[in-house]
Amino acid sequence: MMNLAWVVPLFPLGSFILLLLFGRRWKQRSAYVGIAAAFLSLLLALAVLVDRLGGSTYEANWTWMTIGGVTLTVGISATALNAWMLVVVALVSWLVHVYSQGYMAGDERFSTFYAYLGLFTFAMLGLVLSPNLLQAYIFWELVGLGSFLLIGFYFYKEEAKAAAKKAFIMTRIGDVGFFIGMMLLFWQTHSFDYDDIFRAVGDGTLSPGMTTLAVILIFIGAIGKSGQFPLHTWLPDAMEGPTPVSALIHAATMVAAGVYLVAALFPLYEASHAAMMTVATIGGVTAIFAATIGLVQTDIKRVLAYSTISQLGYMMLALGAGSYVAAIFHLTTHAFFKALLFLAAGSVIHAVRTQNIEEMGGLWRRLPWTAPLFLIGALSISGVPLFAGFFSKDEILTAAWTNGPRLLFWLAVAAALLTSFYMFRLFFLVFAGKARHHEDAHDAPASMVAPMLVLGVLSIASGYMQTPWFGSFLGEWLTDGAYRHEAAPGWIAVLATIVSFAGIFLAWLMYGAQKMPRDWLSARVPYVDELLRRHYYIDDIYRLTVVSLVSWISRLLTYVDRFLVEGLARLAAGIVGAAASAGSRGQNGQAQTYGAVTVAGLAILVVIFALTGGYWL
Amino acid sequence: MNDVWQSDWSMMAPEWIVLAAAITLLVMDLALPSSRSRRPLAWGAAAAAALAMIATAAMIPAESASILHDTFRLDAFAKAFKLVVLAGGALALLLVAEWAPKEGSPHRGEFAYMMLFALLGAMMMASSGDLLTLFVSLELLSVSSYILAGLRKTAPASNEAALKYVINGGIATAIMLFGMSYVFGLTGTTNLGGIARRLQETNEPYMLALAFLLLLIGVSFKLATVPFHMWAPDVYEGAPVPATAFFAVVSKTAGFALLLRLLVTIFAAAPAEGRDPSSLLLSMQPIITVLAGLTMIIGSVVALRQRSLKRLLAYSGIAHAGYLLAGFAAMSWAMIDSLWMYLLVYTLMNIGAFAIIAHIVNETGSDDLDGLAGLYRHRPFLAAAFGLFLLSLAGIPGTAGFIAKLHIFIGLVVTEPGHYVLAAVMAITTVISYVYYFNLIVQLFFRPTFTAPLGRLPAGLSTAVVLCALGTLAIGWAPGLAYDMLAQFGHFGDFLP
Repeated sequence: MMNLAWVVPLFPLGSFILLLLFGRRWKQRSAYVGIAAAFLSLLLALAVLVDRLGGSTYEANWTWMTIGGVTLTVGISATALNAWMLVVVALVSWLVHVYSQGYMAGDERFSTFYAYLGLFTFAMLGLVLSPNLLQAYIFWELVGLGSFLLIGFYFYKEEAKAAAKKAFIMTRIGDVGFFIGMMLLFWQTHSFDYDDIFRAVGDGTLSPGMTTLAVILIFIGAIGKSGQFPLHTWLPDAMEGPTPVSALIHAATMVAAGVYLVAALFPLYEASHAAMMTVATIGGVTAIFAATIGLVQTDIKRVLAYSTISQLGYMMLALGAGSYVAAIFHLTTHAFFKALLFLAAGSVIHAVRTQNIEEMGGLWRRLPWTAPLFLIGALSISGVPLFAGFFSKDEILTAAWTNGPRLLFWLAVAAALLTSFYMFRLFFLVFAGKARHHEDAHDAPASMVAPMLVLGVLSIASGYMQTPWFGSFLGEWLTDGAYRHEAAPGWIAVLATIVSFAGIFLAWLMYGAQKMPRDWLSARVPYVDELLRRHYYIDDIYRLTVVSLVSWISRLLTYVDRFLVEGLARLAAGIVGAAASAGSRGQNGQAQTYGAVTVAGLAILVVIFALTGGYWL
Repeated sequence: MNDVWQSDWSMMAPEWIVLAAAITLLVMDLALPSSRSRRPLAWGAAAAAALAMIATAAMIPAESASILHDTFRLDAFAKAFKLVVLAGGALALLLVAEWAPKEGSPHRGEFAYMMLFALLGAMMMASSGDLLTLFVSLELLSVSSYILAGLRKTAPASNEAALKYVINGGIATAIMLFGMSYVFGLTGTTNLGGIARRLQETNEPYMLALAFLLLLIGVSFKLATVPFHMWAPDVYEGAPVPATAFFAVVSKTAGFALLLRLLVTIFAAAPAEGRDPSSLLLSMQPIITVLAGLTMIIGSVVALRQRSLKRLLAYSGIAHAGYLLAGFAAMSWAMIDSLWMYLLVYTLMNIGAFAIIAHIVNETGSDDLDGLAGLYRHRPFLAAAFGLFLLSLAGIPGTAGFIAKLHIFIGLVVTEPGHYVLAAVMAITTVISYVYYFNLIVQLFFRPTFTAPLGRLPAGLSTAVVLCALGTLAIGWAPGLAYDMLAQFGHFGDFLP
């Protein structure tokens, strides 16, 4: 079945085209087209996975174009990583397709929503099948386009429009790094193929300095896409999109693409110690940084968004510490429990029509399905033993302890404490306490609950693919048997458990039992509280520096172009202007100026030429 | 004289077709009663351009040759660039057929045949092997263009555009002729190949460098690059939309054909002082690099503040000319390949965008970008097509614009020494350009409408939009189509005479 892997992305593409053409006529029935397409993708993806489990990597390439002597190819590559990602993406995408049928019901652009979902899924599946950098880059950009369209879906909200643009342009800044890094590799190796590039590192065609430079540039692309510090500010704003979109794109799949990219290029990163350290440091810093901001957010989706940033930081930390397996393992478990949390949050929002957690409370009884499922997700992300998140986080902590700098390990432990604290702050505020005027709140329809149930099961079960007790199936398969489970000090698991329960207990004290005042922190160190509430002023810094700089340059250049150069040129134009009658000045004044600018430009070039005497450089 | 009459005139078949069509249409326009619609004339002109395109394509396998004492060359370069200008011309003529300014369109017939004359000039330019034919065809293109800019004879904006165009064009002509006079003075011949040969024996690097600068600045008028870019926004804004589309696309393509014919042929092997004594062109690389960088920066940054769609596309056109000039500055082995590719793609995506703008201007009388607001709500296909053209202009993968930009990028980084600064400027200005292209996309898809819904797209415009959209998608996903074509041109191995 692996030779049919290229068909997997075509189903959602077909759904996109069909819905674009006939969506208006089909209206609410559009959902079935999308769901069916996503389901077919999932089935085929599973078949590819099963095939890959027993076999070896399948790769096929076709010539795409020939530029001069360089042949560029397109193709598919079913490595273990790709086959795995294919299933994760197809599965979450299908569940979100199903869920959206209930969540988006009644929206007048229902079919458009499904069309965009199809486009996104197509691009994401295409990305994880790419055998070369150029193809990956193309789908990488298309994924961004799908995200842009979906964040801006509620276009009548100013915030949504602004968020869509911000997301696109911020990630694009990272993509410039990706692009330049890719071109550097191409320049050195004359190929975009992963295999060729890895070979070039091996035989020394690619110098260590160039390797480091190129992979760090590519990592900037991953920073942008995965919302890592300092290009993370678009991700919380992206929560303006519909909640199923947040679950699919901004939690489970697209934001994990940065992690996937680093993983796909892992042999290249491993060749450069500096690059590995960069990845680990950015990951570790992001993990703790985003977790602290998550402490004070009052919007349910924004808490989850910062938690996503923090968890992606964990994955980057794992990659930087050399544990490819731990990163992909956490990517998988995170995709499931974070998608679950978002979908459950969507169900809460659906029920109470607000996103402000301070206006919620006492929803445990009113949402008999959603509440326990949310709890499962929260326990999993907090790393409570026996849940999936515990195993994958333990794997990352072990990697950080054995290979990474000590400081990063302790940062990761601290972030774990904060994670369980803010997750249970969220849980207690929303579900515990007194019910507040949501008498009519009722649980979601079956089409929304069913996908959450599946994810709930996976949020526990997916952890058992790789445990210290039952063997490390995932790791051995991903690395073709080369995987050795690190003899982890037993105290790491104990420490992780203690930390996770400590966070939960603290949250219970403050928000559950309310034995501790909530303003315990803000009363003692108000400036820290303010710092966290303003997200460390990162957005303000960007606004004050980059944005105002560009707009200032733009204004300046407009003036230079129109007035300053014109002013200089007016001197020349004045001679002609004096000769012309006052009446004709209005008609041809400007045109003369343009000519004068040209002549001035020519004169400058000639003067430079005369001064340098032909020796330019 | 005898050999002139015995020349192989069939080599000029595409030119004959366009000339014959232009004269026929001129006579018909005079003879037809003024009550008759001139729309069929414009369709006829478009058909003639398409026919000329087929004739050109049929000549692709032919060996390169020249007639009329080597003043008219039919090499791969001439064929390739003729195909692009003819495609642009035929599509622009479709816009002429549906041109509907609010004061009525009594001059549609004139519009059609003048555009054919301009097109003839552009074609001859690609085929010229001599300074004289080059100059005469340039003037044929320019003078016809001035008239096209002023065809809304009762609209002050159109008159102003025409006047500005004439004045700036006159300056450009003067500068270029001045430069040509130096070249002629140094070599005593007007034949491009002859000039190149004689220059290798002369040793006047300073005089020659001066001539180079004069010619470069003169050509930059047609390219709309720094420092001769300022006329473009004013002229584009005032001229009727089909004429704007023609200037933005066909004139620019012809300008690049001129740039390559003139500067590469004459100066590629001319002796010079400076870092590369074997080639004046290479030693002038830094100047071209700086001009390309400035053009990209000014074009993309100033576009941020525009509200008129035509002005916006004018500045975006300046930025694109900067990318093209960057490709020229790289002087890689695939320079002509990459410029041709970019111009082909640029033609498709720009005419597509202009066709939709033409429709908006026809219906609303204004080209303010508010006119796009919420287009997706009542004309989803039109909005999707416009979105596609904008994505392509921005160079997003999956569209032709990406392939073209990628080719220039590859040229910039694989040449020795690589042009990293230029590549970086190109990458940064591309990101800046996302801001204004995506501003338009936000208008298209994310804004409620406050204007009356637009009517259906008339046949001519929808033909143009569909052709351009198909081309943009096809080259974006299967660039092999265009590269097979390039392989047929033999990568312009016979360019230098």
